[in-house]
Amino acid sequence: MMVEKSALVIGAGIAGIQASLDLANRGIKTYLVEKSPSIGGRMAQLDKTFPTMDCSICILAPKMIECFRHPNIDLLTYSEVREVHGSAGDFTVKVVKKPRYVQADKCVGCGICADHCPVEVPNEFDSGMGIRKAVYLPFPQAVPRVYTVDRDHCLDCGLCQSVCTAKAVDLEQQPVELELHVGGIVVATGFDVYEPFRITSYGYGKYKNVMTAMQLERLLSASGPTGGRIMRPSDGRIPRSIAFLQCVGSRDQRFGYPYCSSICCKYAVKDAVLMKEHRPDSEVYIFYIDLRVFGKGFQEFANRAKKEFGVKFIRSSPGEIREDPETRDLTLWYEDTLTRTVTSLKVDLVVLCTALMPRSDSVELAKILGIDTDKFGFLVPSDSVGQPVDTQVPGIVGCGYCLGPRTGDIPDSVMQAGAAAARVSEIIMARSV
Amino acid sequence: MSEIDTVESTVDTEKAKRVNFDPRILVFTCNWCSYAGADLAGTSRLQYPPNARIIRTMCSGRIDPVFVLEALRDGADGVIVTGCHPGDCHYVKGNFRAEKRFHFLKMALKQLGVEEDRVRLAWISAGEGEKFSLLVRDMTDKVRELGPNQLKSSTIRSTSEVRS
Amino acid sequence: MCHCGINIGGVVNVPEVVEYAKTLPNVVWTEGNLYTCSEAGLSSIRDSIKKHGLNRVIVASCTPRTHEPLFRATCEEAGLNKYLFEMANIREQCSWVHSHEPEEATAKAKGIVRMAVARARWLEPQDEPEVDVSDSAMVIGGGVSGLTAAVTLANQGFKVHLVEKEPQLGGITRRLGKIYPTLQDSSEIIDPLIKTTTSNENIQVYTSATLKDVSGYVGNFKVTLKKGTEDMKLDVGTIVLASGALNYEPPKGSFQYGVLGGVVTQLQLEEMLARGEVAEPERVLMIQCVGSRTGEVWTYELSDMSQSFAARLLSKILGVKKEEGWPYCSKICCMNAIKNAIRIKELWPKAHVDILFSDLRTYKEYEDFYRKARALEVKFIRYIREIPPEITEAPNKKLNVTAYDTLAGVETEFLCDLVVLSTPLCPSKEDVMLARMLKVPLGPDGFFMEAHPKLRPVDCQSDGIFIAGTACGPKDIPESIISAKAAAARASILMANRKLRTEALTADVNTDLCIGCGLCEELCPYGAHKIQNGKSTTIAALCRGCGVCAADCPRHAITMRHYSDRQILAQVEAMMA
Repeated sequence: MMVEKSALVIGAGIAGIQASLDLANRGIKTYLVEKSPSIGGRMAQLDKTFPTMDCSICILAPKMIECFRHPNIDLLTYSEVREVHGSAGDFTVKVVKKPRYVQADKCVGCGICADHCPVEVPNEFDSGMGIRKAVYLPFPQAVPRVYTVDRDHCLDCGLCQSVCTAKAVDLEQQPVELELHVGGIVVATGFDVYEPFRITSYGYGKYKNVMTAMQLERLLSASGPTGGRIMRPSDGRIPRSIAFLQCVGSRDQRFGYPYCSSICCKYAVKDAVLMKEHRPDSEVYIFYIDLRVFGKGFQEFANRAKKEFGVKFIRSSPGEIREDPETRDLTLWYEDTLTRTVTSLKVDLVVLCTALMPRSDSVELAKILGIDTDKFGFLVPSDSVGQPVDTQVPGIVGCGYCLGPRTGDIPDSVMQAGAAAARVSEIIMARSV
Repeated sequence: MSEIDTVESTVDTEKAKRVNFDPRILVFTCNWCSYAGADLAGTSRLQYPPNARIIRTMCSGRIDPVFVLEALRDGADGVIVTGCHPGDCHYVKGNFRAEKRFHFLKMALKQLGVEEDRVRLAWISAGEGEKFSLLVRDMTDKVRELGPNQLKSSTIRSTSEVRS
Repeated sequence: MCHCGINIGGVVNVPEVVEYAKTLPNVVWTEGNLYTCSEAGLSSIRDSIKKHGLNRVIVASCTPRTHEPLFRATCEEAGLNKYLFEMANIREQCSWVHSHEPEEATAKAKGIVRMAVARARWLEPQDEPEVDVSDSAMVIGGGVSGLTAAVTLANQGFKVHLVEKEPQLGGITRRLGKIYPTLQDSSEIIDPLIKTTTSNENIQVYTSATLKDVSGYVGNFKVTLKKGTEDMKLDVGTIVLASGALNYEPPKGSFQYGVLGGVVTQLQLEEMLARGEVAEPERVLMIQCVGSRTGEVWTYELSDMSQSFAARLLSKILGVKKEEGWPYCSKICCMNAIKNAIRIKELWPKAHVDILFSDLRTYKEYEDFYRKARALEVKFIRYIREIPPEITEAPNKKLNVTAYDTLAGVETEFLCDLVVLSTPLCPSKEDVMLARMLKVPLGPDGFFMEAHPKLRPVDCQSDGIFIAGTACGPKDIPESIISAKAAAARASILMANRKLRTEALTADVNTDLCIGCGLCEELCPYGAHKIQNGKSTTIAALCRGCGVCAADCPRHAITMRHYSDRQILAQVEAMMA
């Protein structure tokens, strides 16, 4: 049987990017399919990564560029997988390149089109905290640096087309169907952030100054909607007191998900330290049940957060948040389990560390691939201990958070990506000899 | 005292110290250990005085004593040679060689009338960010007490002029 | 000149430094970038090389240890030899360490740029020699990680030499009874791996063997193994370090370990259960975080606690001497304890099992495992780590344990048959020797240090050496297997390409000046210099570029390519200017 010496990677976050690089460097032609206009995924949305406090996009950008320039990687952004047939060593995949209405080979990424576009919509990349135009680049370091027209919100005024000096805008562009033949497939579609509208006692969506941690990351990020300045949504004031609430929608059998999302305690400590760095005289509290700061250097980082930065840790899961209708300040009501007293705390800003959940289309993609998902929508390994990245279909492997909260953080995604690449290499190499 | 006050007052004290004399410290670092340690001080955001400038070589064993003499002749108030801990040199024993040379350099400096504390040898591993920051701080303070380097003069011809 | 968002731009006045750079001799083009490593920044570099005929490029931004390869490759694409590129570190070594002194940081940035320009003037184009890469790998350690790495490499056609110091393969996994959360026998995982390894014709296994010496470099490591009285020499292209970790045993007397018979570690409990040495207990108490998370300082609101307890708490905390053990969290102990608790409950449903914990770290979907234990009536009691439970002897070989239950708010006494201490995985003392031999540094936690904790978790700083499993930190079995496969993937990339370009940082002898004294031959740790016909000759393939010879040559006859005296002295001079 002819074995295709090529692979498909679905999803271009850090896991997909690393898997593609490991495959491409191995001499295997890799198609990297990403449904959004740019590669980078969740890691590009973060400000800093724990516990090294590296600027996230700074350490990610070189890998993104490497993907873009690699002779063995074919980057297919704004594209989706529609059909998969065949078996290990010889899969036939139908991919649709959605129309950006901008020609990638002509666009120079200057942004004149966006400057003139009259439409403003919430920016998904900023988790709704910022706005973008209908013709947009999701973030400044986007790869490829090609603008995209969001036709759903486009007014069809044609201004972008008329001002584009490179004549790159093509409002008649059609979707393109590609048929790829690959030997193995890596699924790396990542996660979505749970938005706790249903936990009404926390007022998310109602109270202006209650946000998710991802929204906070966008505010913290230098290339985010506020240029890295933490401003309260209600009045733009810099918050003097901030409370982080852990396990919102995680470890929860009523709302959200019963599992532990594995990352939230760590990023809460990181964000708390960042808040203290931004404003050393602020009061920062972390309300936790179990402080899950395991992993390399993590416990030590949490100790520093307490000792050096003065972050306050309270073992409690607040029952209710109330908003002062005038000041928009928030009051948390909670039981401190150590002192066993019920008390309240007034803060300027509340950050909910919510669960990480499967992508909304993960089940649909799994059906296309013929692989199993668990009751939440995460991929199920064929043997969770012995073959942790393999799926039920030989030749199809997974890596990153689409495998579920077994992925602890970025190094875990990177290692899983390496393992996934190794598995696909084994299949391709073993059969092509 | 709020943290902002504490930081500002430390900075003010530092600034006051500098009004009289701001030492210039040259630090030779090796690519594998001490340069990485200096980087770690950065990623850990450990603050230290801005008096140091870093020159990177592949190994502390690369440091010809002439570099140190040249630095002092050009006006450096203090010089630190840093490298991997003994036994950990990426090139097996480069740092041992550095240590041996340093020993003779110190004797030569004594002859030239250069104070002993102006030149130092220190071992910094890639994981010792804090040690690096403390080293720079300590050296800056010590050299400040010694005052400006008196060797600054053109009576000694530059060795780079001697060499073609 | 990079702003790096606000990382540099928020402290250093980048436009001011850009203006300053314009005044430096030989500088014909300057520009500020928001993120030089972005596609826009890189295009800008390429374009300006072509447009302005640049023959030297300097990027003032972060540390060269991250982005130098990227910028070098960008210069090459524009036709400029990559050794004509220089970086000025104004982030890790400037803006990040002087964040409260923007003026001084800006002045320092100017100085750093000045030094970089001075060096760049003396840079020369270099050619990189190509070396052959052997397609054999060595795996150090025959535990679950080492075996996985070996099999993954062998399946791709590479030859593997697997070295294990014990007489049998299997590592710690072999000593475990059951594995969480599936509660399957550990033999179900490790035995097939051992079988696959020993029957694979591409894998050569050496048991009861240790590493005696390692020399060479990526693609060409020369390894000496010691097996019994024999020394064996091997040539390998890559090395995977999978030497594992030890289970920490508390010092004698700590928690009465080694003093009272009923106090054991979790691993000892597993072995006792396997040998059938455990009689039906009435009560088993497990204590988490023994010997780990040392160095924590937690303060408490004392106002609402009972007076006597508050007093006791204070005196304990003040009186506590430096705790023995390790500062990190070992990640797997919570799950491991729950696994053994469930096992005991399944064997003896009437037994009481209590777990004293500080933070219960049953992450991922292991939350269900925690619920299973609670459903079996395992009791979880949150104690305070700073107040170690007191353990005393009780009649009938039982043990009395006193601990503060924070949730009930009282001190509780437990009469137990067994006290099981959950201790961390820790580095072995032998790691120090391995670290030296392989030139892989140990991190602050004592485990081997990876090249970058986030993006290069299985690479070492030295090319060609990779880490798998618990050698670089505590992991459970699936995590170890994943890291081993990833390490194998990285190693296979190197060996598949069979040739590698190495850095051009080699020694160049000026034979006109050389007097054949032989000092360079004597000093070179790699044997790269040989005196022939009264002059020193260099074998470029052996030279690693340390520069020791150049620094000691009495005639200054040796120039180090890319780290010449002239380049270094130019930086020294520029510092003072």
